[in-house]
Amino acid sequence: MSHEEAELISQCQKGDQEALKEIFDQYHKRVYRIAYGMVRQREEALDIVQEVFIKLFRSIRNFKGKSKFYTYLYRMTVNTAIDHTRRREKIPPLSLDEGKGIQLSEEVESRPDRILLHKELKEKVKEAMEKLPNDQRMALVLRGVEGLSYQEMAEAMGCSIGTVMSRLHYGRKRIQEWLKDYVELSDLRAGHMGSAPIKEENGE
Amino acid sequence: MKDSCSSISKRLEKYFDNEATDEEKSLVGKHLLSCPPCQSALTSMEGIRDLMKGPVEEAVQKEDFSWVWQKIQREIRIKERPTRWEYFLSWLDRPSLFQKRVWMPAAAAIIILVLITAQLLLKKTPSYPDPTVVVYTESQTHNVMVYESGKGMVTVIWLFEGPEKELPAS
Amino acid sequence: MRRRTLSPTLIFILILLLFLFSTSFAFAQVQTRVRVVYASNVGAIIDPLLGDLHNQLRSVFSFTSYRLLGDVSIILIGNNPIEVFVHRGRSIELALVEKHRDMAEMKIMMRMKEVPILNTQVRLSSGKTVFIGGPLYEEGAAIIALSANF
Repeated sequence: MSHEEAELISQCQKGDQEALKEIFDQYHKRVYRIAYGMVRQREEALDIVQEVFIKLFRSIRNFKGKSKFYTYLYRMTVNTAIDHTRRREKIPPLSLDEGKGIQLSEEVESRPDRILLHKELKEKVKEAMEKLPNDQRMALVLRGVEGLSYQEMAEAMGCSIGTVMSRLHYGRKRIQEWLKDYVELSDLRAGHMGSAPIKEENGE
Repeated sequence: MKDSCSSISKRLEKYFDNEATDEEKSLVGKHLLSCPPCQSALTSMEGIRDLMKGPVEEAVQKEDFSWVWQKIQREIRIKERPTRWEYFLSWLDRPSLFQKRVWMPAAAAIIILVLITAQLLLKKTPSYPDPTVVVYTESQTHNVMVYESGKGMVTVIWLFEGPEKELPAS
Repeated sequence: MRRRTLSPTLIFILILLLFLFSTSFAFAQVQTRVRVVYASNVGAIIDPLLGDLHNQLRSVFSFTSYRLLGDVSIILIGNNPIEVFVHRGRSIELALVEKHRDMAEMKIMMRMKEVPILNTQVRLSSGKTVFIGGPLYEEGAAIIALSANF
């Protein structure tokens, strides 16, 4: 932990909301990534972010500096996000309109079946993620979205590295199982979807 | 080949997650050069990761978080308001009760009260070892006789109408 | 600022409550039981309601028959008098004079048709009974049994 961060935490522990704002500015995107990765809904993910920072402000006195601050924050985020997923009702799949924003090359847009396939794939991945148990889903999010190391994941999830690896392994395996009937897994790479393979196919 | 794939597949995830040791990296790297199934497995992991990550990154880029901070500030202000119980406790203002200017007069008042009530309490404490039951009797219309049995077990006050009337005693 | 003005008020209320509570002990109370027994030589009826009284009565009186005419419990507080109408125009007025740990002193005024016929003061320990009786009438007499509990 840097000296500046330690000072910031100390101020926050004394109830300084300006210090909390600085912490928020530094970490809110990371927290949102994890939250969104888990719930895949904007409003709910924002609720989680809000809840995490409020909890942080109320409980930061308990942070003794034995672990890194961001793992402490990640742990809070993981617990809050899992609580949310437990509480919420099953959310129906998003409509295909939610897939807006993907910039496809013109060649792709001229191939409507390809656009649909991409959007459907995203839906399928989302559905597959939602079917996963919370701990496996969280493992995939922390690793795949946030890029945490096994050690950092273990601290955030409150388990051993072996458990982290096990959750990753079974999570990935389940998603592959659910997706394999839908599309060739080798086609899943975004690079393949966006440009090269399509142009090649066009060239056929 | 199969045995090699089997042993490599256990390391493949670690390799993908960048958690493999140097030795493991070297082993897996060499194997991948000549194993399409393992290459495919690695590619699928990359594809899943990209499909997971993509929408998240888009969502982060699109979002304006300034209003989120405003909401957090507001919630903290609301939650900092004391509950009714906390307000009641603060109303008791216990720390200030221990200030000299508060507890000294309070203690003095309590001591005075105790001294006053002690007189009343002490009055009750003397006991009469062998009390006479009848303190006095008087009657302007009748003769009165007081009878007390041994040890004061039974006390009788009897009224007579005239000297010729007697108490039917046992 | 508000807290500073409220705290002395709270202390005052607490002291007042303490005072009221302590002064409640100043008002002594004695539960007094008044039983009226008609004792006579007609028949040999021992009223079962007499209970504990019967043996005491028999130890003193030679009547053959004892019947409970009335039974009332009153609480004497301080020196406030209470009048109990016992039998055939007779009443007794009781007032607590003093109360000690193991003794209560009470003043008794007996009246017959508003005319005082007896003025006495007795000391009773808890559970003890004093009998006030006479004069004889018909073939018996009314006996008042006074006992105190505290």
